[in-house]
Amino acid sequence: MIIKGKYPIVASTEDVWDHLMNPEVLSRITPGISELQPLGGDKYLAISKIKIGPVSGSFEGELELKDMKINTHATIVINQKSKIGNVSAEIKMQLNTIDDITEIEYNGEAKLTGKLAMMGQRIIGGVVSTLSKQFFKTLNDEMNITKS
Amino acid sequence: MSNYIGQSIKRREDDRFITGKGKYTDDIVLPKMTHLAFVRSPYAHAKINSIDTKAALAHPGVVAVYTGEDCGNFGVPCGWQVNFKNGDTMKEPTHPLLAVGKAKHVGENVVAIIAETLQDARDAAELVEVDYEELPAVTNPNAAIQPGAPQVHDDIPNNVVFDFALGNPKEEVDAAIDGANHVTKLDFKNQRLAPNAIEPRSYIADYDVTVDKYTLYTSTQNPHLIRLLMCAFVLGLPEHKVRVISHDVGGGFGSKIYHYTEEALVTWASKQIGRPIKWTSDRSEAFLTDAHGRDYVTTAEMGFDNNGKIVAFRVHSDANLGAYLSTFSTACPTYLHATLAQGCYTTPLINIDVTATFTNTNPVDAYRGAGRPEMTYMIEHLMDTAALEMKIDPVELRKINFIPAFDGVNQPGYQTQVALQYDSGDYHATLDRALEMVGYDQFRKDQEEARKNGKLLGIGFSTYIEACGIAPSAVVGSLGARAGLYESAHVRVQPTGSVSVFTGSHSHGQGHETSYAQFVADTLGIPMENVDIIHGDTNEVAFGMGTYGSRSLAVGGSAIMKSLDKILEKGAKIAAHKLEAAVEDLEYAEGKWTVKGTDKSIAFGDVSLTAYVPHDYPEGLEPGLDFSSFYDPANFTYPFGTHIAIVEIDKDTGKVTLKRFIACDDVGNVINPMIVEGQIHGGVAQGVGQALLEGVDYDENGQMITGSFMDYAMPRADDFPFFETDRKVTPCPHNPLGVKGAGEAGAIGSTPAVANAVMDAISHLGIKDIQMPITSERVWKAMNS
Repeated sequence: MIIKGKYPIVASTEDVWDHLMNPEVLSRITPGISELQPLGGDKYLAISKIKIGPVSGSFEGELELKDMKINTHATIVINQKSKIGNVSAEIKMQLNTIDDITEIEYNGEAKLTGKLAMMGQRIIGGVVSTLSKQFFKTLNDEMNITKS
Repeated sequence: MSNYIGQSIKRREDDRFITGKGKYTDDIVLPKMTHLAFVRSPYAHAKINSIDTKAALAHPGVVAVYTGEDCGNFGVPCGWQVNFKNGDTMKEPTHPLLAVGKAKHVGENVVAIIAETLQDARDAAELVEVDYEELPAVTNPNAAIQPGAPQVHDDIPNNVVFDFALGNPKEEVDAAIDGANHVTKLDFKNQRLAPNAIEPRSYIADYDVTVDKYTLYTSTQNPHLIRLLMCAFVLGLPEHKVRVISHDVGGGFGSKIYHYTEEALVTWASKQIGRPIKWTSDRSEAFLTDAHGRDYVTTAEMGFDNNGKIVAFRVHSDANLGAYLSTFSTACPTYLHATLAQGCYTTPLINIDVTATFTNTNPVDAYRGAGRPEMTYMIEHLMDTAALEMKIDPVELRKINFIPAFDGVNQPGYQTQVALQYDSGDYHATLDRALEMVGYDQFRKDQEEARKNGKLLGIGFSTYIEACGIAPSAVVGSLGARAGLYESAHVRVQPTGSVSVFTGSHSHGQGHETSYAQFVADTLGIPMENVDIIHGDTNEVAFGMGTYGSRSLAVGGSAIMKSLDKILEKGAKIAAHKLEAAVEDLEYAEGKWTVKGTDKSIAFGDVSLTAYVPHDYPEGLEPGLDFSSFYDPANFTYPFGTHIAIVEIDKDTGKVTLKRFIACDDVGNVINPMIVEGQIHGGVAQGVGQALLEGVDYDENGQMITGSFMDYAMPRADDFPFFETDRKVTPCPHNPLGVKGAGEAGAIGSTPAVANAVMDAISHLGIKDIQMPITSERVWKAMNS
């Protein structure tokens, strides 16, 4: 499944980068994530609860940031396991500065297995798009509230 | 008292089915019974690095945990050997009871957990840690044979199971296509289907240490075949030590023919733990692991001369057999498929070329029709498409090409270009009757009127033929079948004249207990209530090949008739003795032997009592009235018919509504018209399901994305109009009942009729073809591109 999109954040590229790289912020604003524990380096243990259509489950696994260039780009690698199936994803994230707006451009692929794939796959595209929008909207709100 | 044949007698078995008194495998609870749950592969293709079962073993209630290493030597066999064109044996990898080394499709059994309760087994299964290394997967049969494709089995190059061709020499067919006045060509996928029997598969194995015997209760269509395959080819058990019982079975459609790994595993494990074990599939497991149907990627071409006569028919298909070879999988795209390429037409040159491939998907096998629906779809869809392209009426095009009527008695059978000889047929008769039923001329006027009003109406035809009553053992043996395909019957007349019939065929929805009793009672001239039909237990029934391929009445019924003949022959000797007459002077009617021209007679029950109390008895004659027979048919049977669909398509949404469905079938003689009509209705529903709704899809990683009833569209009652059915009768000339078989006709004939109706409604908009299932989305896209 391809995950792809753009979202404009009304903030400087440096601010956006700082927020995105802050585990405390990420665990607060990412839908479903309840914990993001540093494992050293750019690796984290992520624990989340997600409900997609008829299936819901608790996920646990690693989240890693790689190919990082400060204020420019990073790749998020996710490997999450659950009793209803596993999710693995690799998503490239690029920050583009357009005047006083930072556009976050993301592009990657996610693989699902188990019941998650059997019963959730047809609706998951829509769910991911909704969750992404929710994430970026919260990020945008948070940054603009922080500023004011 | 007699004349049951031809009556729509209500099914005796329905009382127990509809009042919850049926005896299905999962209803059985044995003392000390344990429960089994599987850990199944979440990956389509993955190396198994290690399996840690410690936590599962420690879970309360767990009795045993097995992995592929514990039973790695056992594998379930394929039942039909098809060789490569060059004569090499097909590739037949071991199909292990639990995955060894690699998992090759999502849902493959990896670990078996046996526990005191099902919940314990399932909880423990979640504690098993399997370290998988995911490998690239391939799911499409054409992609599988491309260079560089992932290898399902490391030692089978290019994933090719075999290549196969049937018909006339390819050069001759190619030349005829090249020289044809018009060629119609279609590229399509005959999509994969999930059988979805209402009762999921269920097995209980019970090893009895006191007598060293096994009992396997299984939801199968053929208990003796399961016993033979499992004993002789999987576990190496002597057959007399194994009893297989298949009581009531809630639908099969082919999916319960095969010997599944789970059956052998519970049987093996029951001895290991010395206790009974039950496994019942849940619906998700059924979607993942019940053998699927269809899945061919096909290019089909039909050439015509300038009079609309077919000059040649050429096909290449890549057939997806899944990750392993299921019992009859190899026969489906070959001898159950290519042999039907003649259709009802006089096509002089035919070449069917098939490459069968392994992919990282669940095994594919026979599903209601088994190879024949796929062939019928391509022929009949080509006919209507060609008619549209050549601007000939599709009815006219068929009439130009039909094989003339032949009854197989006064005229010989029809020798096809593809190995078979049709027994009897009158293809014009069913077409003419169906046209009368639909009111064809009026429909074309209505269609024109509807178009003026912006409505899209279409009509589609299918004049199908199929081969049933599988089959002469010598013929199928020469084609690679690893079993004979006769049937057995044992008729035991009890001393007081009631009759127990033990049949090797198996009823799982077909109503044998009723229709068999009808013809047995008629033949013996006794009340139906005095006849009992027994099936589904290897200890009661001597042997049997089971029920599939619409064979029960044609083959199993014929075996019963043979035993009835023997009973009447012996009964006549006893009657002659008692009546002090010669056998030749007796006639048998209405349940008694009468000395011709006199009122001296003796009833069937008096003769049977004499047979068991032989005080005054013919000299040298054995007591008893009890006969076994085996019947091996002389030929397949060839039912045929005409199906017509009328659809309306919503211009704005692309939704296809089936407005009318007409079926005029010829299945030979009919014992119980209601049961035959029910079979046609069910088959049509499944065939329409394929045309409009159903389809198993895997994503690019080999994950099944249609694994529930929310994602896999099953047809429902509100998808259908009331079917309009009628029959013609061309008796089968080579079996005693003159019957041909009706189980699969509906599913074989209906699919192309619906697809053709859709194209008839929208082809004037410049649309050439739409792939099945013909969903609103696909129609809308075609209309808006």
